[in-house]
Amino acid sequence: MTLSELSLRNAKRQAADYLVYFVTIIMAAALLYAFNGLVFSGEIRELYSMMSSLPMAIVPASIVVVCIFGWLVSYAANFMLTRRSRELGTYILIGLENRQVARLFFLENLAVGGCALVLGLLIGNLLFQALRAMILALFEMPYVFSLAVSLPAAGLTLAYFLLIYLLALYKSRKRIREMKIYDLIYFDRQNEEAVIRTGRNRRRMFALSIVFGIVGTFLLMIGNLLLGIIGAGCVIFFLYGFFLTFASGVPAFFEKHPAGKYRGQNLLVFRTLTAKLGTMGMVMATISLLLTATLIALGTGLVFRGIFDGRAAEHACFDLYIGAGEKGRPVDQACLDYIEGNILVEQSLTYEVRLNENNGVRQYLDDCGIEYFYTYRQDPVIRYSDYAALRAVAGYPAAKMEPGQYLIHCIPYLSEPLEDFRQPITAGGRMLVPGGVYTEHLIQRYAADNGQGYILVVPDEAAAGCDLLHHAYAAKTARPVGEEQVEELFGISNRIAERERGDTYDSDDYDTVYANVYEEKTAAYMTALTVLPLYYLALALTMTAATILTIQQLGESRHYRRQFALLDKMGMDAGEMAKALRTQFAIYYAMPAVPPLLIGIPFILNLAKQPEPEIMVGLSSPAAIVAIALGVFFLVYAVYIGVAYISLKKNVLPER
Amino acid sequence: MLQVKNIEKYYGSKNNVTKALDRVSFDVEREEFIAIMGASGSGKTTLLNCISTIDTISAGDILLDGEKISELPAGELARFRRERLGFVFQDFNLLDTLTVEENIGLALSLNHADAAGVKGRVREIAGKLGITDILGKFPYQISGGQKQRAACARAMVAGQSLLLADEPTGALDSKASKNLLEIMTQMNRDLGATILMVTHDAYSASYAKRVLFLKDGRIFNELLRGERPRPAFYHEILDVLATLGGDISDVI
Repeated sequence: MTLSELSLRNAKRQAADYLVYFVTIIMAAALLYAFNGLVFSGEIRELYSMMSSLPMAIVPASIVVVCIFGWLVSYAANFMLTRRSRELGTYILIGLENRQVARLFFLENLAVGGCALVLGLLIGNLLFQALRAMILALFEMPYVFSLAVSLPAAGLTLAYFLLIYLLALYKSRKRIREMKIYDLIYFDRQNEEAVIRTGRNRRRMFALSIVFGIVGTFLLMIGNLLLGIIGAGCVIFFLYGFFLTFASGVPAFFEKHPAGKYRGQNLLVFRTLTAKLGTMGMVMATISLLLTATLIALGTGLVFRGIFDGRAAEHACFDLYIGAGEKGRPVDQACLDYIEGNILVEQSLTYEVRLNENNGVRQYLDDCGIEYFYTYRQDPVIRYSDYAALRAVAGYPAAKMEPGQYLIHCIPYLSEPLEDFRQPITAGGRMLVPGGVYTEHLIQRYAADNGQGYILVVPDEAAAGCDLLHHAYAAKTARPVGEEQVEELFGISNRIAERERGDTYDSDDYDTVYANVYEEKTAAYMTALTVLPLYYLALALTMTAATILTIQQLGESRHYRRQFALLDKMGMDAGEMAKALRTQFAIYYAMPAVPPLLIGIPFILNLAKQPEPEIMVGLSSPAAIVAIALGVFFLVYAVYIGVAYISLKKNVLPER
Repeated sequence: MLQVKNIEKYYGSKNNVTKALDRVSFDVEREEFIAIMGASGSGKTTLLNCISTIDTISAGDILLDGEKISELPAGELARFRRERLGFVFQDFNLLDTLTVEENIGLALSLNHADAAGVKGRVREIAGKLGITDILGKFPYQISGGQKQRAACARAMVAGQSLLLADEPTGALDSKASKNLLEIMTQMNRDLGATILMVTHDAYSASYAKRVLFLKDGRIFNELLRGERPRPAFYHEILDVLATLGGDISDVI
C-alpha cells in the first residue's frame, strides 16, 4: 500500500475527528468566496457609479479575515495533530521516518481540505446569492436567483486559501518532522504552562488588568484615533491579564472558604472551570478578544447603517430640493433653467426660510441639554402658506393652523421635548400660541435646510417681519431625478460659486442639492461600503470563536465522559449530573462573553451618540442599536451553545 | 448482610447469547472480607458490576440487608450506590481535576453532607489510611499506591457499608500491593468494613477471610481461611487454582 493510499484510508476512517476541521474549512471558503463574488460582480458595480470602489472596502477586510482564518485553520490542524499524535507516533515507532509521517499528515489534510474547499465554494455561491439579494434590496432593485459561479472569485478564494492552508500545514509538518517519538505519543498530555504562578504576582496582575480594562474602555469611547489605539491595547492587556489570573484566583478563594467548595455541585463546577482556564487561559482570552471585536464590529456596523438610513430618510423627502447657500441669495437661475429644460416637474415651490428675532425654542432645547447640530442660534421660521405648499410637494397631509397660533415642525429626535414646549412666542412683533408639532421628514439639518432640527411655522404676516435666512426650492417630479441630473445641478452650482466668488472656498457659496433617489442610492452605497465589511468581519470572528470553543469542547468530551461515568458509579443522581454539566457549561461559555459585554456595550452606546445624534432615532437609537447588536451576537452564540450542549449531554452523560 | 441468590446474567442478542453468570449464590456476612477469583472471562467483574447495580441481572435476586437491590428504581439505585457502596477500581478512577482531599470529599458532597464538616471527616479517614500529607496534591502528583489508598478513603468516608474492589492491586507493584492489602485488612478489622474484592492474584486473595472461585460463570469452589496463617491460606488457594486446570496460567 502506498503512502497516499494509506493517508486516504486514514482520512476516511477519521471522518468524525476531521469533522470540525472539515466544517472550519467549508465555512472559511464559503465566506471568502461570497465576498469575493461581490468584488468581481459586474451587476453590483453597475448599481451605482461609486460602487466600483466596493473592492477597496472588501479586499482589506478579506485580508484581515484571511489572517483570522489562517490562525483558525492552524489551530484546527494542531488539534488534529493532538488527536492523532499517538497514532502518528506509532507509525514512527514501527519504522516510518518523521518525514514520511509528516507527508502522510499533509496528504490527509490536503485530501480533507480539498473536498471541504469544493463544498465551501458551492455553499459560498449560495451565500453570495444572499449577499447579492441584500445589496439589490438596499438599492431597491429586483433580485433574480442565479447559480452562476464566478471564476475570478473562485480563483481569488483559492489563492487566499492556499495561503491559509499551506501555512497551517507547513507549521504542522515542521512540528512532526522535528518531534521525537515520545513527544508524539505523549503530545496529547501536554498542557499550556501556567504563565503566572505566585499568588502575589497573580493578584497584582489581576488588579492591574481590571484597571487597564476600565481605562481602555474609556479611551475607546473618546473617539480619538490615537487614544482609541491605546485603548484597544489596554483592552487586550485586560483580557489576557484577566484570564491568566482569574483561573488561579478561584482555587485561592475556595482555599479560604472550604465549606463553600463542598456545597452542592460547587466542587465539580469550580474544579472543571479552573482546570480548563488554568490550561487554556491564553485561548480563552483570545476567544474573548474575538467576541469583543465581533460585538464592536456588529455595533459599529449598526451605527453606520443607522447614520446612513437616518440621513437618507431626512434628505430624501423631496424629489428635488435646492437650498441657496449664501444668505439672501436666491436659488441660482442657471439651476432653475436646467430643471425647466431637463426635469419634468409636476409641482414646485420657491420660498424663503427666515430667522425670528428671538431664540426661545433654541434656548429651551439647550436648557433641556439635548445634543444636536446647529450653526445659528435664532429660531428659524417659515410662512404658513409656504409650509402648506411644501407639505403638498412632499406628499404630506395638510397641517391646520388657527389664526394667532404657530406650529413647530421638527425632526423626530426633538419631538418629545418640543411637544412639551407650551410657551407662546413673538414673531414679527406678534404674540403666537402653540398650535401643534409635526415630525415628518422635511430636510432640517444644515444651514441651507428648512431649519436646523426644527422650524417654526408662523402666519405669513408674522414671517414678513423676520430677517431672511436663505432661499429654497422644492419640487415634485414626474420621474425620479437621475444621478447624472443631480451631478449636473451640483456642477452648475459649483461653477457659479467658483466663478463668482473666486478661489476662496466658503461652504455658504454653494447650494445644497438633495434628490430622493440619489440620496437613497448614496445611503445604499455607503452602507454597502462600510457595513458589509464590518458584518463580514463580525461573522468571521464569531465563526472563529465558536469553532475554537467547539474544538476545545470536543477535546474535553472524553474527560467529561470519564468524570460522569465515575460519578454515576458513585451514585450521583442523573438530575444532579445534568445540572452539574449545565452549570459547568454555562459558566464555561459565559466567561469569554462577559468582558466583551462590559467593553462593547459602553463603546457602542457612546459611538451611537457621537456623530449625528439627531438622526439616531427609532431602531437606530443608541439603546436599540445595543439591543440589536446584543440580540444578533447572542442569537449566533446561543444557537451554537444549544447545539453544543445537546451534543455534549448526549455524549458524556451515562445512558439510562 | 448481602445475599446473592441464583443470579444469572446473559449478554448478546437472540441468536448469540453469552452466559456470563450462571445461577450464582452466596451470602456475605457483615464485616467479612471476601475475595472472588477466577480466570479472565469467568464472570468476576460481571458479578461485581451486578452487585454494585452498575449492571443489571437477567434472573435471580440480590439482597442487601434484606432489600432487593435488583428491583430498585433508577433514582433509588443512585441513592443506594451513594450511601451504601464504596468502590475501588484497578485504574483508581480519581478525578484528575480534583486534589486528593477533594476526591475523597466528593463522596460526602454527593451525599449532601454538611459542607463545613467535610474537611474534618476527610482528614480523619486520611489519617487512618496514612495519606494526610498528600491531601493537597493532584492525582498526577502521587504514586499508584497513594492513589489507591485515596480511592479506599473515598470508598469509606461517607460511612458506606460495603466496599467493592475490582482488581485493586492490578496496577500496583508488589510493595504497593502489599501495603494496600494491609490497609484493606485494617479497614476490615478496625473500621468494620465489609469488603468484596475481585482479583486474579492468589497473593491478594490470601488476605481475605473467604475466597470464592468462579469458572465459566459458576461458583466452582469456596475456601475459608479460618485460623490459618496467611501463607498457608495462600498455598491452599494455589492448590485450588491448580485444579482449575488449563486456566492456571491466567490466574497466578
